[in-house]
Amino acid sequence: MAQLPARFRTESQRYAVEDVPFSVPAASEVADLSNLINKLLAARDEEHKHVEFDFLVNGQFLRVPLVAHMEMENIPTEEVVEIEYVEKYMAPQPEECIFHDDWISSVQATEEWILTGSYDQTARIWSLEGKSVMTIAGHTEVVKDVAWVKQDSLSCLLLSASMDQTILLWEWNVERNKVKALHCCRGHAGSVDSIAVDCTRTRFCSGSWDKMLKIWSAVPTDEEDEMEEAANRPRKKQKTEQLGLTRTPLTTLSGHTEAISSVLWSDTEEICSASWDHTIKLWDAETGGLKSTLTGNKVFNSVSYSPLCRRLASGSTDRHIRLWDPRSRDGSLVLLSLTSHTGWVTSVKWSPTHEHQLISGSLDNIVKLWDTRSCKAPLYDLAAHEDKVLCVDWTEAGLLLSGGADNKLYCYKYPAIASDVGA
Amino acid sequence: CAEPSGASRPGAAPAPRPCWETGASEPRRRPAGGAAAAPAASGGGGSGRVDCPSLSCPAFVSPSGTQGCICVELCVLHHPHAAFLSTLPQDIRNTVGNIPMEWYQDFPHIGYDLEGKKIYKPIRNKDELDKFLEKMENPDYWRTVQDKMTGADIKLTDEQVDLVHRLQKGQFGDVHFDPYEPAIDFFSHEVMIHPVTNRPADKRSFIPSLIEKEKVSKLVHAIKMGWIKPRKPKEDTPTYYDLWAHEDPNSILGRHKMHVPAPKMKLPGHEESYNPPPEYLPSEEEKLAWEQQEPAERKLNFVPRQYRCLRAVPAYSRFIHERFERCLDLYLCPRQRKMRVNVDPEDLIPKLPKPRDLQPFPTTQALVYRGHSSLVRCLSICPGGQWLVSGSDDCTVRFWEVSTARCMKTLPLAGVVKSISWNPNPTICLVAIAVEQSVLLVNPSLGDKLLYGATDQLLESYVAPEEERVQPVQWVAATTEEHGKGIRLVVQHSRPVKQVTWHGKGDYFASVLADNSNMQVLIHQTSKRWSQNPFRKSKGLVQCVLFHPIRPYFFVATQRYVRVYNLLKQELTKKLMTNCKWVSSMAIHPGGDNIICGSYDSKLAWFDLDLSTRPYQLLRHHKKALRSVAFHKHYPLFASGSDDGSVIVCHGMVYNDLLQNPLLVPVKVLKGHALTWDLGVLDVLFHPTQPWVFSSGADGTVRLFT
Repeated sequence: MAQLPARFRTESQRYAVEDVPFSVPAASEVADLSNLINKLLAARDEEHKHVEFDFLVNGQFLRVPLVAHMEMENIPTEEVVEIEYVEKYMAPQPEECIFHDDWISSVQATEEWILTGSYDQTARIWSLEGKSVMTIAGHTEVVKDVAWVKQDSLSCLLLSASMDQTILLWEWNVERNKVKALHCCRGHAGSVDSIAVDCTRTRFCSGSWDKMLKIWSAVPTDEEDEMEEAANRPRKKQKTEQLGLTRTPLTTLSGHTEAISSVLWSDTEEICSASWDHTIKLWDAETGGLKSTLTGNKVFNSVSYSPLCRRLASGSTDRHIRLWDPRSRDGSLVLLSLTSHTGWVTSVKWSPTHEHQLISGSLDNIVKLWDTRSCKAPLYDLAAHEDKVLCVDWTEAGLLLSGGADNKLYCYKYPAIASDVGA
Repeated sequence: CAEPSGASRPGAAPAPRPCWETGASEPRRRPAGGAAAAPAASGGGGSGRVDCPSLSCPAFVSPSGTQGCICVELCVLHHPHAAFLSTLPQDIRNTVGNIPMEWYQDFPHIGYDLEGKKIYKPIRNKDELDKFLEKMENPDYWRTVQDKMTGADIKLTDEQVDLVHRLQKGQFGDVHFDPYEPAIDFFSHEVMIHPVTNRPADKRSFIPSLIEKEKVSKLVHAIKMGWIKPRKPKEDTPTYYDLWAHEDPNSILGRHKMHVPAPKMKLPGHEESYNPPPEYLPSEEEKLAWEQQEPAERKLNFVPRQYRCLRAVPAYSRFIHERFERCLDLYLCPRQRKMRVNVDPEDLIPKLPKPRDLQPFPTTQALVYRGHSSLVRCLSICPGGQWLVSGSDDCTVRFWEVSTARCMKTLPLAGVVKSISWNPNPTICLVAIAVEQSVLLVNPSLGDKLLYGATDQLLESYVAPEEERVQPVQWVAATTEEHGKGIRLVVQHSRPVKQVTWHGKGDYFASVLADNSNMQVLIHQTSKRWSQNPFRKSKGLVQCVLFHPIRPYFFVATQRYVRVYNLLKQELTKKLMTNCKWVSSMAIHPGGDNIICGSYDSKLAWFDLDLSTRPYQLLRHHKKALRSVAFHKHYPLFASGSDDGSVIVCHGMVYNDLLQNPLLVPVKVLKGHALTWDLGVLDVLFHPTQPWVFSSGADGTVRLFT
């Protein structure tokens, strides 16, 4: 059997082996290499326990026999090939399945609480154990997006955007478990599909079906902003009185020619918006100007930004997840396409802790966990949903959340890097 | 006659001599010893052949009896060695030799004898009387001859007379000669044990010849010096002249190049045999059928018959006829080749671009809108593209969120929903629904609150005019209960409503009634709640109607024709012939100059209104009846839904350049709907902004293809 010269390298000091070239069988697969490393470690340390490893050659995960991989990647087999190994990522462990009354349109979780928006016109707060803590009712239409603004031990601020064209800012008193609508943000002329809070927790932006992107203040006050045409709307005014003080946008950014499906803050002063007009636009929140436009050829459903790798991931109405570099000036190039879904990708979310990993939900009922180093196939398929997946989230604590049209919110425990858990 | 004198020469006539020397005269000659030496002295060359009579005599006799006879006679008379001369008492021998005796005609002598004395001519003084008397009296006269050499008369003996007689008869002079002796073939092909001659071989036969050696060496020298050259091989290629080498191929005389061979006659087959195989013999029915056929239609112009043997075959009665037909064939056969352009039929097909170059168009099924329990007849979408409305046979209308397939609202109605149409004006939120005998105007309360509030205000702001107007329909405001469901106005017709469609501005809408009278099409104005019947006469069963998107035109599709009316001038502008049996649906290009018509005979006709009143193209892609056709508002796409359960999306590019015809390319067949009660797709609809197509099916689903 043909042998290949290989050198093994790792980032984690615990599992480091000697930096000498080994001769490994050309046809060896991941399991063979993993056994080899384990034997080396066992020879050095008596108390070593068996650990599964994953291997990267030239920054790509090894999924086929080594020689086939090198042939595919055009790596010369004569030279010593450098193989990086990492501890194998554990499969996400299913934790909770939280039942809702209706479709789940959005989810956002913190270390303690999970906030979901649902098609039954309510937003709900759940504990991590899956216990319903609070039901926030107030919208007259489907809640399309939710967001946490601030979290204290006593009270939390949270936002809910709805198809009834308003965004409500709620204050949730944790101790007394009371919720109160502080402000009703009016100004959109269509269903508000997406909201995002900036990193200073004082502002948030919203994207709507009416093609507008609006920036609002997230600081609760006692004053009510004046609505210009409030006079001839007696019926609506009655409603607003019930739901807190009216608030108007700080800035309105117009430029999209179709509905905005997803917004986010990519920096303190930079907003990124994905739209149905096949573009992702980057805005300067300070000046309200358009910074750059990334043009695709399909409707964008969702966009996510990772400050770790500074990449945008977009899910669109085809099967692909595309990665973009928002800073590239030489045209809007798609860096990478991750293709495995069979339906629209409705939602994507980068890992907050790992620069290579992201999660995506699709209309084909499957949530997929990706590593950008293995673009041909996802790391794991989470096929629990029985209907369309509409939203996914990934918390810093390593909790994966996905909600969909089967009224269920699935939670998975996923140690982002296994070695961290062990450390 | 010169022959007698020539014959007397020893060299010239050697052959006859042996005839008598070897024959009868031989015994008499021998006693005359002097005579025997004479031949050797006078002509020695001939003596060698005396022994060989068999070789010479037949050759002499054979030519002709008469001539040979005379020769022999004269030879006998003149020969100096003739046997009878020896019988004379004295040997008078003339020594003048072989000369013409006329030379001595004027002399008294006739020559000289051996001693040199003159031989005088005998006296010839007998006159004619004497000659006659002698002839009569002398009994030997017939055997007396004159010797020219001496002039003396000689009386032939009996032997000589016999000899003359024999020679005259063509017999051999020698009585005893047998010409038919068996021939002995000495030099036969058979190898004999003894040689014919035992002569030893010459010395020269085994000594190389010096002369030849010399000759050969001369030749060899000449070859070496190059004086003799080997003989050139003869070129045996025939030389001829190409008569037409310099002929102009384009001239009329170049016609021979276009020679058309005469048609060949058909080769005889088994059926023409006198004893054809049984399968070639017609049965009685076939014979009868043959007789009843027209002569021109017959496959064979004769009936195959069987005969016992070839001899029993009668004369062919059609021979002249057949010759005549053959002559006709030759007479009528083409004389000149017709120049035809050879075109590959593939080249005639227009080069269509590949579908993948015509992106974007819907390719895959993305969403299924489930909820209806019966077939979904009609679809409509809000101008913004956020909401979809569908009407079904389960007597409900459902409103869907396009992006998630979420059913936002369900509106139960009194009857089957036949047609549904969302107001195309983006500032009005109103849906017209045709249910049984009424058209409902429904505010779905979806989308912008300001919009649907404004719509309600617009409807409420109506002030009824003072005088009562006579209208073909009744406009009724919704009851409170209906108002809660969203229904704002009910337009009650006298007949079931088949179709409802909005004008592009959103104020007028037209409804089609299932009726035969002139009350088939009504045009309604929402803001004034005013309806009118635009047509005085019924022109046929109206299938569907359509407003022009820009100009004040109104399209009315009957079963076979589409009529275009100008609403301002109130006149018929155009009548389009669809070439279809039964038009089912119609859609207009957003530019307004092109129309597509779907028909129940599974054809889709594209009309270019500027081009012609006939279809620019007829597309027959579907296998079953077309139920619905649709144009996209922005993308160059159109779609057709059919009973075969498929939606066919075509690229239909209309160019601004009037000289360029529209480009129609079928790009995708979308399948997904299950066939239910032999019905497939009932309605197709494009998303207003995205290249997506919706289709509603008899299986109770609405599907989105992207």
